[in-house]
Amino acid sequence: MAEDLVLDTAIRDWVLIPLSVVMVLIGILRYFVSKLMRSSPTPDAKMVKEGQVVIRARNLKIGANFIPPKSFRARRFYFSNEENGLLHVPKDQAAQNPQAQMFSDPNMAMDMMKKNLSMIIPQTLTYAWVNFFFSGFVAAKIPFPLTQRFRSMLQNGIDLSTVDVSYVSSRSWYFLNLFGLRGLFSLILGDENAIDDTQRMMQMGGFGFDASKSLSAEKDGLDIIQHEWALPRFEHRAESVLRKLVQ
Amino acid sequence: MVTKTEETQLNELENQVENGGGGVWEYLCLVRKLKVRRSEIVLKHGLSILNDPGKRSALGPDEWTLYEQVAIAAMDCQSLAVAQNCIKVLQKKFPESKRVGKQEALLLEAKGMWEEAEKAYTSLLEDNPLDQVIHKRKVAMAKSQGKPSLAIEHLNKYLEVFMADHDAWRELAEIYVSLQMYKQAAFCYEELILTQPTLPLYHLAYADVLYTIGGLENLVAARKYYAATIDLTGGKSTRALLGICLCGSAIAQLSKGRNKEDKDMAAPELQSLAATALEKEYKQKAPAKLNLLTSALRSLKIS
Repeated sequence: MAEDLVLDTAIRDWVLIPLSVVMVLIGILRYFVSKLMRSSPTPDAKMVKEGQVVIRARNLKIGANFIPPKSFRARRFYFSNEENGLLHVPKDQAAQNPQAQMFSDPNMAMDMMKKNLSMIIPQTLTYAWVNFFFSGFVAAKIPFPLTQRFRSMLQNGIDLSTVDVSYVSSRSWYFLNLFGLRGLFSLILGDENAIDDTQRMMQMGGFGFDASKSLSAEKDGLDIIQHEWALPRFEHRAESVLRKLVQ
Repeated sequence: MVTKTEETQLNELENQVENGGGGVWEYLCLVRKLKVRRSEIVLKHGLSILNDPGKRSALGPDEWTLYEQVAIAAMDCQSLAVAQNCIKVLQKKFPESKRVGKQEALLLEAKGMWEEAEKAYTSLLEDNPLDQVIHKRKVAMAKSQGKPSLAIEHLNKYLEVFMADHDAWRELAEIYVSLQMYKQAAFCYEELILTQPTLPLYHLAYADVLYTIGGLENLVAARKYYAATIDLTGGKSTRALLGICLCGSAIAQLSKGRNKEDKDMAAPELQSLAATALEKEYKQKAPAKLNLLTSALRSLKIS
């Protein structure tokens, strides 16, 4: 089981390195294409306002203890008022908001499609290419031992069951690159653009700004707060500061 | 907000540039990034780069950003001809650009042609109703025309949408104070305290406004906020120290004859400590005025 296979250096030259180079190039290409295809986002006035309301409500929550109780209560009322409070979302609106908004807004739907496509197509193509050209042989050896469970995952093209699981096929090298090239992209493209495939997959899941949920979350947060005016404490502290200063 | 490291870096570069060393381009980039207002230096050195065709072509695509920066600096220094030239160059290169349109409107405003500027801004706003900069320019125009109520109206409308804009609240507070609308100013200062509760400046301003409005409750609150300022500045704010003394005497005056239990006995020694600290500071920094101070304090305590 622990026999040492000697792998041809030609594998390294003609499989590992070209595969990495190709993936880096495809990532760079994808970045430029996405820059070209990016439609300038036209911000909706309502969404901007809601965003700002959330920020202001959050500030209120954080700094609540620094303003007099009356002002705090007035502001809280302004925000969570049942009739026209800013954070209050009427129930019927809340239910249908997220999904309907996504699909009925043609711009957003197009954006989603573009983002998804730009990710899926290169991945699929590269995967098919790897499978077609680079299957059926051992590509590399992983430096640490693994259990037999990983055999099906890592040794897909290799049909010998006696080969040590540490010897993997090029498909696993592809996956390794897929998840690992983020550091390289951040060097090449500048720190902000280092989104590689893992993050994009996460982006595919979570969608845009779900306003109503964040609004009601802020409202709940505000309702919970017990206002405890911090200023009297300050008087004592000022006293001690001055005492020290005067001495 | 400009951090300390950035500020030192800026000053270093400025010294270097002013004394003939290199590094002009880095200085200009830093000024642009930090949005500080160093118009004279920017104008002088930016022009020297732009007028030299060798250095200009070395900039590449950043040349146009430099034109924009120099145009704004020129308008700030009232060299309108220079600004006009820069904008003409930009117009030739980017004929239909909104950004250049903003520059043109700014030039109209700098020349004092208020109606044309107003028209230009309104048309720009139609294209993009959510442009923060243009809204603020309208407020600035109203203010420089001497119409503070119009400025207040614009600013309120702006804040209805962009209510988390810190600088706008500050501007509104200052305008209200200048118009003596103290209750509204107090509201604005409360907003500012909420966003940055550790900045003593806002506590001090809020305390000033509360003291000016008057009334026992406000005076008590003002005293608390002066105390907060002292705490946050480590006792160095002369204004806050004086504020405490004044508040103390005003409260004593108002609550004469009222139940002494009502007065909060939170920090009874605060006033005397503040007076002592004040005297110490005056002894250090302005010994000539110490007599004035002691007589003023004495009159406060008596009344």
